[in-house]
Amino acid sequence: MKVIVSRSGGTAGIRLTWEVRVDEQVDALNWADFLGSLPWNDVTDSEPLPDRYLYRIRCAPHEVVLAEPEVNGPWRDLIDRVQAANGRM
Amino acid sequence: MPPYLLLRLAQVDDPRFAVAAEAARTSLLRDQPVREHRALLSTTARPPVHVAAGRLAGSVDRSIYDAGALTRLPGRRVRTEGTPELTDVAVNEAYDGLGQTQALFWTVFGRDSIDGSGLPLDATVHYGHEYDNAFWDGERMVFGDGDGQVFTRFTVSLSVIAHELTHGITEFTAGLAYEAQSGALNESLSDVFGCLVEQHARGQSAVDASWLIGEGLFTDQVQGLALRSLRAPGSAYNDDVLGTDPQPDHMSGFVDTEDDNGGVHLNSGIPNRAFYLTATALGGNAWERAGRIWFDTLTGGLLHRHTDFAGFARATLTSAAARYGTGSAEWTAVQSSWNRVGVDSAAGGNIAA
Repeated sequence: MKVIVSRSGGTAGIRLTWEVRVDEQVDALNWADFLGSLPWNDVTDSEPLPDRYLYRIRCAPHEVVLAEPEVNGPWRDLIDRVQAANGRM
Repeated sequence: MPPYLLLRLAQVDDPRFAVAAEAARTSLLRDQPVREHRALLSTTARPPVHVAAGRLAGSVDRSIYDAGALTRLPGRRVRTEGTPELTDVAVNEAYDGLGQTQALFWTVFGRDSIDGSGLPLDATVHYGHEYDNAFWDGERMVFGDGDGQVFTRFTVSLSVIAHELTHGITEFTAGLAYEAQSGALNESLSDVFGCLVEQHARGQSAVDASWLIGEGLFTDQVQGLALRSLRAPGSAYNDDVLGTDPQPDHMSGFVDTEDDNGGVHLNSGIPNRAFYLTATALGGNAWERAGRIWFDTLTGGLLHRHTDFAGFARATLTSAAARYGTGSAEWTAVQSSWNRVGVDSAAGGNIAA
Protein backbone atom coordinates (compact mmCIF):
# COMPACT_ATOMS: atom_id res chain seq x y z
CA MET A 1 0.00 0.00 0.00
CA LYS A 2 1.31 3.44 -0.95
CA VAL A 3 0.42 6.94 0.14
CA ILE A 4 1.26 9.65 -2.39
CA VAL A 5 0.99 13.33 -1.53
CA SER A 6 1.51 15.88 -4.28
CA ARG A 7 1.51 19.60 -3.66
CA SER A 8 0.99 22.01 -6.52
CA GLY A 9 0.40 25.74 -6.72
CA GLY A 10 1.85 28.21 -4.28
CA THR A 11 3.22 31.42 -5.73
CA ALA A 12 6.19 29.42 -7.01
CA GLY A 13 3.92 27.00 -8.87
CA ILE A 14 6.35 24.17 -8.20
CA ARG A 15 4.89 20.67 -7.96
CA LEU A 16 6.43 18.35 -5.38
CA THR A 17 5.51 14.78 -4.54
CA TRP A 18 6.15 12.69 -1.45
CA GLU A 19 5.51 8.95 -1.27
CA VAL A 20 5.46 6.37 1.48
CA ARG A 21 5.28 2.58 1.08
CA VAL A 22 3.29 1.72 4.16
CA ASP A 23 4.30 -1.96 4.21
CA GLU A 24 7.96 -0.98 4.48
CA GLN A 25 7.51 1.23 7.53
CA VAL A 26 8.60 -0.10 10.92
CA ASP A 27 5.24 1.04 12.31
CA ALA A 28 3.21 -0.25 9.36
CA LEU A 29 0.24 -1.26 11.51
CA ASN A 30 0.03 2.23 12.99
CA TRP A 31 0.15 3.69 9.50
CA ALA A 32 -2.64 1.39 8.33
CA ASP A 33 -4.84 2.25 11.31
CA PHE A 34 -4.20 5.96 10.81
CA LEU A 35 -5.00 5.80 7.09
CA GLY A 36 -8.17 3.88 7.81
CA SER A 37 -9.32 6.55 10.26
CA LEU A 38 -9.07 9.46 7.83
CA PRO A 39 -12.33 11.13 6.70
CA TRP A 40 -11.85 10.26 3.02
CA ASN A 41 -15.52 10.65 2.13
CA ASP A 42 -16.07 13.94 3.92
CA VAL A 43 -13.97 16.15 1.64
CA THR A 44 -15.93 18.69 -0.39
CA ASP A 45 -14.90 20.99 -3.25
CA SER A 46 -13.68 24.43 -2.33
CA GLU A 47 -13.10 27.73 -4.14
CA PRO A 48 -9.59 28.01 -5.65
CA LEU A 49 -7.55 30.67 -3.89
CA PRO A 50 -4.68 32.71 -5.39
CA ASP A 51 -1.24 31.26 -4.69
CA ARG A 52 -2.43 28.83 -2.03
CA TYR A 53 -1.19 25.26 -2.22
CA LEU A 54 -3.35 22.46 -3.57
CA TYR A 55 -2.77 18.99 -2.11
CA ARG A 56 -3.72 15.76 -3.87
CA ILE A 57 -3.59 12.71 -1.62
CA ARG A 58 -3.83 9.23 -3.07
CA CYS A 59 -4.08 5.96 -1.18
CA ALA A 60 -5.96 3.39 -3.24
CA PRO A 61 -8.90 3.27 -3.48
CA HIS A 62 -9.05 6.79 -2.09
CA GLU A 63 -8.08 10.10 -3.67
CA VAL A 64 -8.85 13.55 -2.28
CA VAL A 65 -7.90 17.09 -3.26
CA LEU A 66 -7.53 19.64 -0.47
CA ALA A 67 -7.06 23.37 -0.67
CA GLU A 68 -4.42 24.61 1.76
CA PRO A 69 -6.88 26.15 4.27
CA GLU A 70 -8.57 22.75 4.55
CA VAL A 71 -5.39 20.98 5.56
CA ASN A 72 -6.07 20.72 9.27
CA GLY A 73 -6.31 18.02 11.92
CA PRO A 74 -5.69 14.51 10.62
CA TRP A 75 -4.90 15.72 7.08
CA ARG A 76 -2.15 17.97 8.45
CA ASP A 77 -0.85 15.02 10.47
CA LEU A 78 -0.83 12.79 7.39
CA ILE A 79 1.01 15.29 5.22
CA ASP A 80 3.55 15.99 7.96
CA ARG A 81 4.17 12.26 8.41
CA VAL A 82 4.57 11.61 4.69
CA GLN A 83 6.89 14.58 4.26
CA ALA A 84 8.94 13.58 7.31
CA ALA A 85 9.40 10.10 5.87
CA ASN A 86 10.82 11.66 2.69
CA GLY A 87 13.28 14.16 4.17
CA ARG A 88 13.84 17.48 2.36
CA MET A 89 10.94 19.96 1.90
CA MET B 1 -24.11 54.86 -27.48
CA PRO B 2 -23.66 51.34 -26.07
CA PRO B 3 -20.05 50.38 -25.31
CA TYR B 4 -19.90 47.58 -27.85
CA LEU B 5 -20.79 50.00 -30.65
CA LEU B 6 -18.24 52.47 -29.37
CA LEU B 7 -15.66 49.70 -29.36
CA ARG B 8 -16.55 48.68 -32.90
CA LEU B 9 -16.48 52.24 -34.13
CA ALA B 10 -13.19 52.90 -32.35
CA GLN B 11 -11.63 50.08 -34.36
CA VAL B 12 -12.85 51.28 -37.76
CA ASP B 13 -9.84 51.75 -40.01
CA ASP B 14 -11.45 53.73 -42.81
CA PRO B 15 -10.32 57.31 -43.54
CA ARG B 16 -13.95 58.32 -44.23
CA PHE B 17 -14.81 57.58 -40.58
CA ALA B 18 -11.57 58.79 -39.01
CA VAL B 19 -13.26 61.56 -37.05
CA ALA B 20 -15.99 59.29 -35.74
CA ALA B 21 -13.47 56.62 -34.81
CA GLU B 22 -11.37 59.11 -32.89
CA ALA B 23 -14.47 60.44 -31.12
CA ALA B 24 -15.39 56.89 -30.14
CA ARG B 25 -11.91 56.27 -28.77
CA THR B 26 -12.07 59.47 -26.77
CA SER B 27 -15.47 58.54 -25.42
CA LEU B 28 -14.29 55.10 -24.41
CA LEU B 29 -11.41 56.55 -22.45
CA ARG B 30 -13.51 59.34 -20.89
CA ASP B 31 -16.22 56.92 -19.79
CA GLN B 32 -13.85 54.26 -18.58
CA PRO B 33 -14.54 54.78 -14.86
CA VAL B 34 -18.28 54.52 -15.49
CA ARG B 35 -17.89 51.38 -17.57
CA GLU B 36 -15.57 49.91 -14.99
CA HIS B 37 -18.16 50.56 -12.31
CA ARG B 38 -20.86 48.92 -14.42
CA ALA B 39 -18.60 45.97 -15.03
CA LEU B 40 -18.03 45.64 -11.31
CA LEU B 41 -21.76 45.49 -10.78
CA SER B 42 -22.26 42.89 -13.49
CA THR B 43 -19.49 40.49 -12.49
CA THR B 44 -18.44 38.78 -9.33
CA ALA B 45 -15.72 41.35 -8.72
CA ARG B 46 -15.74 42.84 -5.24
CA PRO B 47 -17.10 46.35 -4.65
CA PRO B 48 -14.71 48.98 -3.23
CA VAL B 49 -14.22 49.17 0.51
CA HIS B 50 -15.07 52.49 2.13
CA VAL B 51 -12.13 54.29 3.69
CA ALA B 52 -11.84 57.28 6.00
CA ALA B 53 -13.35 60.54 4.73
CA GLY B 54 -10.89 63.36 4.09
CA ARG B 55 -8.16 61.01 2.94
CA LEU B 56 -5.89 62.41 0.18
CA ALA B 57 -6.38 60.45 -3.06
CA GLY B 58 -3.41 58.24 -3.86
CA SER B 59 -1.94 58.39 -0.38
CA VAL B 60 -0.80 55.03 0.91
CA ASP B 61 -1.80 53.60 4.28
CA ARG B 62 0.36 50.59 5.15
CA SER B 63 0.29 48.29 8.16
CA ILE B 64 2.71 45.42 8.57
CA TYR B 65 1.97 42.55 10.95
CA ASP B 66 4.20 39.81 12.37
CA ALA B 67 2.69 36.32 12.55
CA GLY B 68 5.59 35.09 14.72
CA ALA B 69 5.98 31.83 12.74
CA LEU B 70 2.36 30.90 13.43
CA THR B 71 -0.41 30.59 10.85
CA ARG B 72 -2.91 32.82 12.60
CA LEU B 73 -3.75 36.05 10.80
CA PRO B 74 -3.27 38.94 10.95
CA GLY B 75 -0.63 38.60 13.70
CA ARG B 76 0.77 41.48 15.76
CA ARG B 77 0.89 44.92 14.14
CA VAL B 78 4.51 46.08 14.19
CA ARG B 79 4.75 48.98 11.73
CA THR B 80 2.24 51.53 10.48
CA GLU B 81 2.30 54.29 7.89
CA GLY B 82 4.99 56.89 8.39
CA THR B 83 6.79 55.14 11.23
CA PRO B 84 10.56 54.49 11.07
CA GLU B 85 12.28 51.34 9.85
CA LEU B 86 12.59 48.41 12.23
CA THR B 87 15.53 46.05 12.58
CA ASP B 88 13.36 43.31 11.03
CA VAL B 89 14.29 43.30 7.34
CA ALA B 90 11.16 41.40 6.26
CA VAL B 91 8.94 44.05 7.83
CA ASN B 92 10.81 46.82 6.03
CA GLU B 93 10.83 44.99 2.70
CA ALA B 94 7.07 44.46 2.89
CA TYR B 95 6.49 48.09 3.84
CA ASP B 96 8.71 49.42 1.05
CA GLY B 97 7.36 46.94 -1.49
CA LEU B 98 3.75 47.92 -0.88
CA GLY B 99 4.73 51.56 -1.27
CA GLN B 100 6.53 50.91 -4.55
CA THR B 101 3.54 48.95 -5.85
CA GLN B 102 1.15 51.76 -4.95
CA ALA B 103 3.59 54.18 -6.64
CA LEU B 104 3.22 52.44 -10.00
CA PHE B 105 -0.52 51.94 -9.86
CA TRP B 106 -1.27 55.46 -8.68
CA THR B 107 1.27 57.62 -10.49
CA VAL B 108 1.21 55.74 -13.80
CA PHE B 109 -2.30 54.32 -14.01
CA GLY B 110 -4.25 56.48 -11.56
CA ARG B 111 -5.38 53.41 -9.64
CA ASP B 112 -5.90 54.28 -5.99
CA SER B 113 -4.91 51.09 -4.17
CA ILE B 114 -6.38 47.62 -4.52
CA ASP B 115 -10.05 48.59 -4.63
CA GLY B 116 -9.57 51.87 -6.52
CA SER B 117 -10.76 53.76 -3.45
CA GLY B 118 -7.71 53.86 -1.20
CA LEU B 119 -8.03 50.53 0.58
CA PRO B 120 -5.34 50.39 3.31
CA LEU B 121 -2.54 47.99 2.40
CA ASP B 122 -1.99 45.31 5.03
CA ALA B 123 0.68 42.63 4.99
CA THR B 124 1.75 39.89 7.35
CA VAL B 125 5.34 38.59 7.47
CA HIS B 126 6.90 35.60 9.25
CA TYR B 127 3.82 33.52 8.46
CA GLY B 128 4.20 29.87 9.46
CA HIS B 129 7.30 27.84 10.18
CA GLU B 130 9.74 27.76 7.27
CA TYR B 131 6.77 28.51 5.03
CA ASP B 132 7.75 28.45 1.34
CA ASN B 133 5.06 30.69 -0.02
CA ALA B 134 3.34 34.06 -0.27
CA PHE B 135 -0.31 34.75 -1.05
CA TRP B 136 -3.20 37.23 -1.13
CA ASP B 137 -5.98 36.03 1.18
CA GLY B 138 -8.67 38.48 0.12
CA GLU B 139 -7.68 41.04 2.76
CA ARG B 140 -3.90 41.11 2.98
CA MET B 141 -0.60 40.01 1.49
CA VAL B 142 1.01 37.18 3.46
CA PHE B 143 4.70 36.21 3.29
CA GLY B 144 6.60 33.20 4.59
CA ASP B 145 10.24 33.13 5.65
CA GLY B 146 11.17 30.21 3.38
CA ASP B 147 12.85 27.03 4.57
CA GLY B 148 16.40 28.34 4.18
CA GLN B 149 17.40 25.40 1.99
CA VAL B 150 15.48 26.12 -1.19
CA PHE B 151 13.75 29.43 -0.52
CA THR B 152 14.74 32.48 1.44
CA ARG B 153 12.16 34.98 2.75
CA PHE B 154 9.49 35.88 0.19
CA THR B 155 9.67 39.62 0.85
CA VAL B 156 13.14 39.64 -0.71
CA SER B 157 11.56 40.03 -4.15
CA LEU B 158 9.66 43.20 -5.03
CA SER B 159 8.10 41.41 -8.00
CA VAL B 160 6.57 38.84 -5.62
CA ILE B 161 5.17 41.55 -3.33
CA ALA B 162 3.63 43.33 -6.32
CA HIS B 163 2.40 39.98 -7.69
CA GLU B 164 0.39 39.36 -4.53
CA LEU B 165 -1.04 42.88 -4.43
CA THR B 166 -2.11 42.57 -8.07
CA HIS B 167 -4.17 39.51 -7.16
CA GLY B 168 -6.14 41.90 -4.99
CA ILE B 169 -6.67 44.34 -7.85
CA THR B 170 -7.80 41.53 -10.14
CA GLU B 171 -10.27 40.41 -7.47
CA PHE B 172 -11.73 43.92 -7.29
CA THR B 173 -11.85 44.44 -11.08
CA ALA B 174 -12.06 41.60 -13.61
CA GLY B 175 -12.74 38.96 -10.94
CA LEU B 176 -11.08 36.28 -13.06
CA ALA B 177 -11.84 32.82 -11.72
CA TYR B 178 -8.68 31.21 -10.36
CA GLU B 179 -8.79 28.05 -12.46
CA ALA B 180 -8.02 26.93 -16.01
CA GLN B 181 -7.36 29.67 -18.61
CA SER B 182 -8.99 32.49 -16.62
CA GLY B 183 -6.82 31.46 -13.66
CA ALA B 184 -3.70 31.48 -15.82
CA LEU B 185 -4.66 35.00 -16.94
CA ASN B 186 -5.13 35.98 -13.30
CA GLU B 187 -1.62 34.66 -12.61
CA SER B 188 -0.18 36.32 -15.70
CA LEU B 189 -1.58 39.72 -14.75
CA SER B 190 0.10 39.38 -11.37
CA ASP B 191 3.39 38.50 -13.06
CA VAL B 192 3.07 41.33 -15.59
CA PHE B 193 2.42 44.01 -12.99
CA GLY B 194 4.94 42.38 -10.65
CA CYS B 195 7.57 42.94 -13.34
CA LEU B 196 6.34 46.46 -14.07
CA VAL B 197 6.48 47.52 -10.42
CA GLU B 198 10.07 46.28 -10.22
CA GLN B 199 11.07 47.97 -13.50
CA HIS B 200 9.36 51.22 -12.46
CA ALA B 201 11.11 51.22 -9.07
CA ARG B 202 14.49 50.55 -10.70
CA GLY B 203 13.95 52.90 -13.64
CA GLN B 204 14.59 50.07 -16.10
CA SER B 205 13.44 50.10 -19.69
CA ALA B 206 11.97 47.00 -21.34
CA VAL B 207 15.30 46.10 -22.91
CA ASP B 208 17.26 46.50 -19.67
CA ALA B 209 14.89 44.58 -17.40
CA SER B 210 15.38 41.00 -16.22
CA TRP B 211 11.72 40.07 -16.76
CA LEU B 212 12.08 37.63 -13.87
CA ILE B 213 9.57 36.95 -11.11
CA GLY B 214 11.09 36.14 -7.75
CA GLU B 215 14.72 36.90 -8.49
CA GLY B 216 16.82 36.29 -5.35
CA LEU B 217 14.21 34.01 -3.80
CA PHE B 218 16.19 30.80 -4.24
CA THR B 219 19.11 30.04 -1.95
CA ASP B 220 22.49 29.42 -3.56
CA GLN B 221 21.83 25.67 -3.23
CA VAL B 222 19.30 25.85 -6.07
CA GLN B 223 20.19 25.90 -9.73
CA GLY B 224 17.95 28.71 -10.85
CA LEU B 225 17.55 32.43 -11.33
CA ALA B 226 13.95 32.95 -10.26
CA LEU B 227 10.46 31.43 -10.18
CA ARG B 228 9.47 32.48 -13.70
CA SER B 229 10.74 34.33 -16.73
CA LEU B 230 8.47 36.40 -18.94
CA ARG B 231 11.22 36.73 -21.53
CA ALA B 232 11.76 32.97 -21.78
CA PRO B 233 9.10 30.94 -19.95
CA GLY B 234 10.48 27.51 -19.06
CA SER B 235 14.03 28.74 -18.41
CA ALA B 236 13.90 30.16 -14.87
CA TYR B 237 15.36 27.13 -13.09
CA ASN B 238 16.72 23.65 -13.69
CA ASP B 239 17.40 21.95 -10.39
CA ASP B 240 17.90 18.37 -9.17
CA VAL B 241 15.17 18.72 -6.54
CA LEU B 242 12.78 21.21 -8.13
CA GLY B 243 13.11 19.88 -11.66
CA THR B 244 12.92 22.09 -14.72
CA ASP B 245 10.75 25.19 -15.02
CA PRO B 246 7.63 23.69 -16.64
CA GLN B 247 6.13 26.86 -18.16
CA PRO B 248 5.18 26.77 -21.86
CA ASP B 249 5.85 29.82 -24.03
CA HIS B 250 3.40 28.92 -26.80
CA MET B 251 -0.07 27.38 -27.09
CA SER B 252 1.51 24.29 -28.63
CA GLY B 253 2.89 23.53 -25.17
CA PHE B 254 -0.33 24.23 -23.25
CA VAL B 255 -0.37 22.01 -20.15
CA ASP B 256 -3.57 20.08 -19.53
CA THR B 257 -3.59 19.17 -15.84
CA GLU B 258 -5.87 19.01 -12.82
CA ASP B 259 -3.07 20.13 -10.49
CA ASP B 260 -2.45 23.77 -9.66
CA ASN B 261 -6.14 24.57 -10.35
CA GLY B 262 -5.65 23.60 -13.97
CA GLY B 263 -2.05 24.70 -14.34
CA VAL B 264 -2.57 28.38 -13.58
CA HIS B 265 1.12 28.88 -12.74
CA LEU B 266 2.17 26.88 -15.78
CA ASN B 267 0.06 28.16 -18.66
CA SER B 268 0.49 31.76 -17.51
CA GLY B 269 3.79 31.51 -19.39
CA ILE B 270 1.87 31.95 -22.65
CA PRO B 271 0.21 35.33 -21.93
CA ASN B 272 3.34 36.34 -19.99
CA ARG B 273 5.42 36.01 -23.14
CA ALA B 274 2.80 37.84 -25.18
CA PHE B 275 3.19 40.81 -22.85
CA TYR B 276 6.98 40.64 -22.99
CA LEU B 277 6.89 40.55 -26.80
CA THR B 278 4.54 43.54 -26.90
CA ALA B 279 6.66 45.56 -24.47
CA THR B 280 9.94 44.88 -26.22
CA ALA B 281 8.46 45.49 -29.67
CA LEU B 282 7.36 48.94 -28.49
CA GLY B 283 10.57 49.65 -26.57
CA GLY B 284 11.04 52.30 -23.91
CA ASN B 285 9.48 51.79 -20.50
CA ALA B 286 7.19 48.78 -20.47
CA TRP B 287 4.73 50.39 -18.09
CA GLU B 288 4.00 53.28 -20.46
CA ARG B 289 2.33 51.71 -23.48
CA ALA B 290 2.26 47.91 -23.13
CA GLY B 291 1.49 48.27 -19.43
CA ARG B 292 -1.20 50.83 -20.15
CA ILE B 293 -2.93 48.49 -22.60
CA TRP B 294 -2.86 45.59 -20.13
CA PHE B 295 -4.08 47.85 -17.31
CA ASP B 296 -6.95 49.13 -19.48
CA THR B 297 -7.82 45.52 -20.27
CA LEU B 298 -7.80 44.51 -16.61
CA THR B 299 -9.91 47.41 -15.39
CA GLY B 300 -11.94 48.43 -18.43
CA GLY B 301 -14.89 46.09 -18.06
CA LEU B 302 -13.93 43.93 -21.04
CA LEU B 303 -13.25 40.77 -19.07
CA HIS B 304 -15.51 38.49 -17.13
CA ARG B 305 -15.01 35.69 -14.68
CA HIS B 306 -14.23 32.97 -17.22
CA THR B 307 -12.50 34.92 -19.99
CA ASP B 308 -10.07 32.64 -21.83
CA PHE B 309 -6.80 33.39 -23.65
CA ALA B 310 -8.47 34.22 -26.96
CA GLY B 311 -10.98 36.50 -25.26
CA PHE B 312 -8.22 38.23 -23.32
CA ALA B 313 -6.16 38.69 -26.47
CA ARG B 314 -9.16 40.25 -28.18
CA ALA B 315 -9.71 42.51 -25.17
CA THR B 316 -6.10 43.73 -25.31
CA LEU B 317 -6.59 44.56 -28.99
CA THR B 318 -9.77 46.45 -28.14
CA SER B 319 -7.93 48.37 -25.43
CA ALA B 320 -5.04 49.14 -27.78
CA ALA B 321 -7.49 50.34 -30.43
CA ALA B 322 -9.38 52.50 -27.95
CA ARG B 323 -6.28 54.25 -26.67
CA TYR B 324 -3.96 54.28 -29.69
CA GLY B 325 -6.11 53.42 -32.70
CA THR B 326 -6.57 50.36 -34.87
CA GLY B 327 -3.48 49.74 -36.94
CA SER B 328 -1.31 51.88 -34.66
CA ALA B 329 2.15 50.64 -33.70
CA GLU B 330 0.76 49.64 -30.32
CA TRP B 331 -2.20 47.73 -31.79
CA THR B 332 0.08 45.99 -34.29
CA ALA B 333 2.56 44.99 -31.58
CA VAL B 334 -0.24 43.45 -29.50
CA GLN B 335 -1.66 41.54 -32.46
CA SER B 336 1.75 40.25 -33.53
CA SER B 337 2.61 39.14 -30.00
CA TRP B 338 -0.50 37.02 -29.59
CA ASN B 339 0.11 35.47 -33.00
CA ARG B 340 3.66 34.58 -31.98
CA VAL B 341 2.49 32.69 -28.88
CA GLY B 342 -0.19 30.87 -30.85
CA VAL B 343 -3.25 32.60 -29.43
CA ASP B 344 -5.81 33.47 -32.10
CA SER B 345 -7.16 36.88 -31.11
CA ALA B 346 -9.79 36.58 -33.84
CA ALA B 347 -11.19 33.35 -32.40
CA GLY B 348 -14.46 33.25 -30.53
CA GLY B 349 -12.98 33.63 -27.07
CA ASN B 350 -15.44 34.90 -24.51
CA ILE B 351 -15.40 38.57 -23.65
CA ALA B 352 -17.77 40.92 -21.89
CA ALA B 353 -20.22 42.59 -24.27
